[in-house]
Amino acid sequence: MFAEQLINGITLGSIYAIVALGYTLVFGVLDIINMAHGEIFMFGAFIGMVIVTKMNAPLAAAFAGAVLVTAALGYLLERVALRPLRGRTGVSHLAPLISTIGVSILLENLAHHIFGAGNQLFETPFAEIRFTIGSTTVYLVQVVILAVSVVLMGGLSLWLARTRSGKGLRATAESLETAELLGVDTKRIITATVVIASAMGGIAGVLVGMAFNYINNQIGLSMGLKGLAIIIFGGMGSVAGAMAGGLILGLSETFVVAYGSSGYRDAIAFLTIIVVLLLRPQGLFGRAAPEARR
Amino acid sequence: MAVDWLNPYHLQVASFVLINTLLGVSIYVTLATGQLSLGNAGFMSIGAYTTAILTTRHGFPMPAGIVAGSVVAALAGIAVGIPSLRLTGVYLAIATLGFGEVVRVVFVNWESLTGGAVGIAAIPQMGRELLASLRDAGFAPESIGLRGNQFISLSVFLILFASTLCAIGFFFRLGSSRVGRAYAAVRMDERAAEAAGIDTTYYKVLAFTQGAMLSGFAGALFAHATSYISPADFTYHRAVEILVFAVFGGSEHLLGPVFGAMLLTALPELLRSVSDYRYIVYGILLIAMMVFRPQGLIDPPLVNRLAGKKAAGGGSRDAA
Repeated sequence: MFAEQLINGITLGSIYAIVALGYTLVFGVLDIINMAHGEIFMFGAFIGMVIVTKMNAPLAAAFAGAVLVTAALGYLLERVALRPLRGRTGVSHLAPLISTIGVSILLENLAHHIFGAGNQLFETPFAEIRFTIGSTTVYLVQVVILAVSVVLMGGLSLWLARTRSGKGLRATAESLETAELLGVDTKRIITATVVIASAMGGIAGVLVGMAFNYINNQIGLSMGLKGLAIIIFGGMGSVAGAMAGGLILGLSETFVVAYGSSGYRDAIAFLTIIVVLLLRPQGLFGRAAPEARR
Repeated sequence: MAVDWLNPYHLQVASFVLINTLLGVSIYVTLATGQLSLGNAGFMSIGAYTTAILTTRHGFPMPAGIVAGSVVAALAGIAVGIPSLRLTGVYLAIATLGFGEVVRVVFVNWESLTGGAVGIAAIPQMGRELLASLRDAGFAPESIGLRGNQFISLSVFLILFASTLCAIGFFFRLGSSRVGRAYAAVRMDERAAEAAGIDTTYYKVLAFTQGAMLSGFAGALFAHATSYISPADFTYHRAVEILVFAVFGGSEHLLGPVFGAMLLTALPELLRSVSDYRYIVYGILLIAMMVFRPQGLIDPPLVNRLAGKKAAGGGSRDAA
């Protein structure tokens, strides 16, 4: 029982971590909270659902389709709602927050019109395959989710640490002007960041479909708010914080449901936001001084 | 009949326009100090639930319930506002968004008090109560040519109209008072305001509390206008809707959110075919406004031009 809950918690937590990474990458580079990330994630889930359930295509095709569509959405988001606001004088720092809220309700209601309201079944071909080790049951789906998450997080960390473009991204996050002076093509880095973050959201969408077996057009909102809670908890713009925060939230939600009341599961994330902001506004792994955080 | 044009449905739409106007003003008041609160749907639900519970379970008269709802929402505003002082900009927006969601989850789960996801029904409706007490006093609406349901809708509309007018009047006067000027100073530059001797902490909490109280007031009126509330009335979408009123109409002048709330509530009702796409239009509006006119449709220079005022001391001075 305990071991199974632990595995459930880690599975859920690694999905949360991937969603939160999408937020943290964009925040790190642009100092913007992308309120549309949850809805981009939801589109990934729906595209995956259509490919797997309606077209009976293999899971890999679902990942590919979701990545393509969400990357395109990310590109559009950057061109339509973020770039026009950048570098203009007299634009409030709240402007990108509001414009991405606009994108989020636009996408949520587009999904409503395209894919319909209510829960949609997400049929993973191997949903019933499971192993029993001792008294612990592990589903193959959980193994796949964990493997995809580990590969994705490892790949992202390596890319950020080792490659030229990853270093460019970190330099841009440190200081946009300095990076530009040093010859980094910041415009391209910014576009790439939003596109990569969105594609990661798309992958997370497919993973959520696999984990829960159903999706609806509200998952973007609830997952988006949880992602926000995690990056605030882990520290805005911190990659390690997003991963750790995601795991902690996934585990605590699973154990609250298992040993407490399921009704308050969704409140944990928001209570976390409020408590962390009040006690340690920079988050677990945060670095910026509170004064600089506007 | 001479008053057949008095359609209860149109009056109901007009009543929602007024409630949304109050909500639009409530986000404007907090924004007047540069703080963006996305928790006004939460404060609204606190006001609505307070009066619903007091009037249906504890026999409170309706006006007392509405006052209690506003006061409890204001207390919640103080409780959220003081710790949120250390947060600025997007952090405050997200913390208040989190607050709104926590309130909603609590209302869904605290079934013994709130009826859970089903909500509270049979809340005294203000028009019906008024008619009942007038009937007791020997008055019949037919004597002035109104049917019963016309009278009910009309009285709801008139009560809301008077309340909205009072609220707008109050905040309009506040804008040019000591408090309003302090708000504007805090909004423009908090440090400069502090250096000028303005107690920024006090005014920020005051603005936050006023916004919360007005949301709670609007929520309490909403409960007594519809006589049924549930947590679904106070979701994230409500918070976004309130934000759209201020962003579209204009967040730098009191008339902005008033205009925004009126237009955006009335239009989808008038164009039924559009109302399915209401939130799609809202989304596009938010993006387009941020790109093309971040201050909203109505801003102080426009108001001055419409009012025919010239900037004092020659036209060249910037009316900031």
